[in-house]
Amino acid sequence: MLTCIQSGRVIDPANRRDEVGDVWMHDGRIVDAPQGAKADQTFDATGKIVMAGAIDIHSHIAGANENMGRLMRPEMHHPGHEAAPVPFPFSDAVSSTFATGCRYAEMGFTFVVEPAVAPRQALQAHLELADIPIIDKATLAVLGNDDFLLDLMRKRESPDAVRNYVAWTLATSRSLGIKVVNPGGAAAFKANARAFGLDDIVPFYGVSSRAIVKALQRAVHELGVPHPLHVHCNNLGLAGNVDTALATIAAAEGLPLHLAHLQFYGYGREGECGFSSAGARLAEAVNGAKSVTVDVGQVMFGDTVTISSDVLRQFNARQQARPRKWAIIEGDGNGGGIVPYRYRADDFYNAVQWAVGLELFLLIDDPWRVFFTTDHPNGAPFTAYPDIFALLMSHELRAQWISSLPAAAMEVTTLASIRREYTFNEIATMTRAAPAKLFGLSDRGHLGAGAVADIAVYENDNDRAKMFRSAALVFKGGDLVVRDGNITQYRFGRALTVRPGQDRAIERRLADYYDARYGLRHDFMKVPDNALGRPDPFELVPCAD
Amino acid sequence: MDRGGIDHAGVGRAWIDGRPATLDAAAAEAGRLLADSRLPVIAGLGTDVAGARAAIALAERLGGAVDHMHAGQLLRDLDIVREARVMLTTPNEARVRADTVLLVGPDLSVAWPDLAPRLLDAPMGHEVVDGARHVFALCPGRSPVKRARETIEAIGRNAGELPDVLAALRARLAGRPVGKLSVSAKRLDALATALQAARFGVVVWSSASLDALSIEMLCGLVADLNARTRFSGLPLAPADNAAGVLQVCGWMTGFPMRTGFGRGSSEHDPWRFDAVRMVESGEADCALWISAYRSAPPPWTRKLPTIVLGAVDVDASNASHVHIAVGRPSIDHDAVEYLAATGTLAAIVASKKNDSLSVADAIGRIAAHLRPDDRPC
Ligand SMILES: [Zn+2]
Repeated sequence: MLTCIQSGRVIDPANRRDEVGDVWMHDGRIVDAPQGAKADQTFDATGKIVMAGAIDIHSHIAGANENMGRLMRPEMHHPGHEAAPVPFPFSDAVSSTFATGCRYAEMGFTFVVEPAVAPRQALQAHLELADIPIIDKATLAVLGNDDFLLDLMRKRESPDAVRNYVAWTLATSRSLGIKVVNPGGAAAFKANARAFGLDDIVPFYGVSSRAIVKALQRAVHELGVPHPLHVHCNNLGLAGNVDTALATIAAAEGLPLHLAHLQFYGYGREGECGFSSAGARLAEAVNGAKSVTVDVGQVMFGDTVTISSDVLRQFNARQQARPRKWAIIEGDGNGGGIVPYRYRADDFYNAVQWAVGLELFLLIDDPWRVFFTTDHPNGAPFTAYPDIFALLMSHELRAQWISSLPAAAMEVTTLASIRREYTFNEIATMTRAAPAKLFGLSDRGHLGAGAVADIAVYENDNDRAKMFRSAALVFKGGDLVVRDGNITQYRFGRALTVRPGQDRAIERRLADYYDARYGLRHDFMKVPDNALGRPDPFELVPCAD
Repeated sequence: MDRGGIDHAGVGRAWIDGRPATLDAAAAEAGRLLADSRLPVIAGLGTDVAGARAAIALAERLGGAVDHMHAGQLLRDLDIVREARVMLTTPNEARVRADTVLLVGPDLSVAWPDLAPRLLDAPMGHEVVDGARHVFALCPGRSPVKRARETIEAIGRNAGELPDVLAALRARLAGRPVGKLSVSAKRLDALATALQAARFGVVVWSSASLDALSIEMLCGLVADLNARTRFSGLPLAPADNAAGVLQVCGWMTGFPMRTGFGRGSSEHDPWRFDAVRMVESGEADCALWISAYRSAPPPWTRKLPTIVLGAVDVDASNASHVHIAVGRPSIDHDAVEYLAATGTLAAIVASKKNDSLSVADAIGRIAAHLRPDDRPC
């Protein structure tokens, strides 16, 4: 079927297109305007904004830790969604798989990456993703605190061994990339360390956090995996931790490196409370390090649950749990922690955090290198995105918010002085074109011929939050899935994966390792297609040669 | 295909009111019973992940409720997570790193027959500097866990003493005095010292034999010990894939089992959606009982229209109106289930694969006889 979305303002930064015009699709793909052909179906987008489907590069939507978050907070699954397409009222921080897919689609998102899957939990994560309707999804596999890797490094084995292990992990856990979370910090916590920095040494293994980052960065790069190593730095959330982030940025040394939820590392020690924004310094460093990409992890005020594989940080944060309950999981490799939290607008620290995130968005000058996240649900639930788009697009709106926040907090940030307002083109770059590039997806994030027909159409409403909260039309793979903010059709997307080549010898070695250490076959963590209960559940993304 | 195996297991057979029927007829009759029901309950839920997904989706569609035969036990552990503070670890992690293990309560080797070989007697990881593992048992009852070579020091005997002994141990760890007990103060202090000297200690319990208060005290004790050293908890999962079904329930609904969908949205209430209570009170007017791992009968006494998806050919003249024999997950067909050894969901290749029906297949056939519905399953 030939479908045409007519006369909308088409904003497609990947193809340098920003004009009033048509977008055509056929059999689930975008096509050039056919000569003389008539559309079987047309949608009038006059006065509306047409973009590719949005991509969320870092959102904790699936896996054992996220599920523990759901089970821990029955009180959050309360009614409260009048606009919900079906009457299943879940809160947003820990919503069910079903609600997750629906809420994302309503906002025009068509691809979401779950960024923290322990390889041993990969099957559960993929089962959960398989139950998230409409959108495509992917996982990042977490390495860097696991005994096998640390032991390779302890024995000073060659980069080949690390590379083969990384390749095996990607293939086995069906992931799109590799993440390292507090490199070495979780392993040190096992040996009773309570703090861990970039140049601290992991007990027994004798390797530094920095060495772990460098080894994994190199392996991912040499394997040709499009997405660079995704780093959750040490010292998350602590005053003065900007030094850790600056040192990690410097450690990129010109090779690709992605720093996750940078806002949580934008803290200095100035001011009366010894806590201040270092957002401006951090943004300057990012501007100067062209091989580095970051996502923000914006904080918004309200109730949420923090869910992280940074078990050390979550252990240290457990006393701040609001309400006062928490779970710390001592797992193989990283483990994790689930700590409920309430960001309060009248809290000095939370207000500084809010400002740091916006400073990063506004002071990092290249929208191709700064990505839009709240580190869902850690900074805020993903349903808060429309409000953040509105803040980025309006200096006046920010000024209103600033006037209602603690003055002492606003004094230790530069936010009030920043006049920049994001354009639609920059929003589309940050949430569509750039994420597709970051993951090496040639057929997503844009509206050129050959792209998957993932399309979001919005009313051009001056209330930007309202506009982005419920899309006028959303197409997924050419299917109309949302109309006027309501789900019109359920379908299931796929999980995107990479599978770089590996030396078979690593397989034998892992078999021996799992047998000796755990008395288990090394394939207990495999994720077979037929276990997921959906036809054709995976899509392979090519690696560079 | 091992056709002989199918006959042996009675798989692929169905009955209506005790008389052999075709699978299609049985599925149609089951569909009719469920469609006619005002409030059906899907209970037992002894099934693999695919079966649980299908069962929960069916309950949502029917506006029914879901419960698991071990929900009561499972919720005792989950209640601590929902109301307090927990530190938990995995069986693998305990195996390679625990230099100190505290076994709490009776019947732990019933809850996990591999406890000694997989954990207590297993070699520790190379990163553990001195390799001796110290194991203590608190109130182990009359059939304590045994190690292959070393003995396990028992402190206290009867399970009934456990709450008092635990409270006293926690008090001693905090340096507070304790009153008179069946356990001598000296032994209690020696245990407290040993726990504090652990580099990584693990407390193992089964909620099958512990009350909520004891579990909460244990979790508090673990949290206290982490002020200075590293300690964690290892609750043993109930049988019949209860832990796996809990995960599915969590991601599909946001809630554990004992969740209902009758009012158009999911609601969780451990009392209201207890299947036995729903049946005995007459609230539920139809039951779908699932027990694929073994032929456990429904635990209620009241008669009501009942559909059984059962492991093997149980007495076909029993009270169920429709009985469909299904295969055993991971034996008769490939399955995803919770693996006690790893504490994760795992995809298991069937050990005696045959073309038996799975619970998910059976529910799919039943659902085909319901009115069409645009919600995805
Ligand atoms: Zn994150």
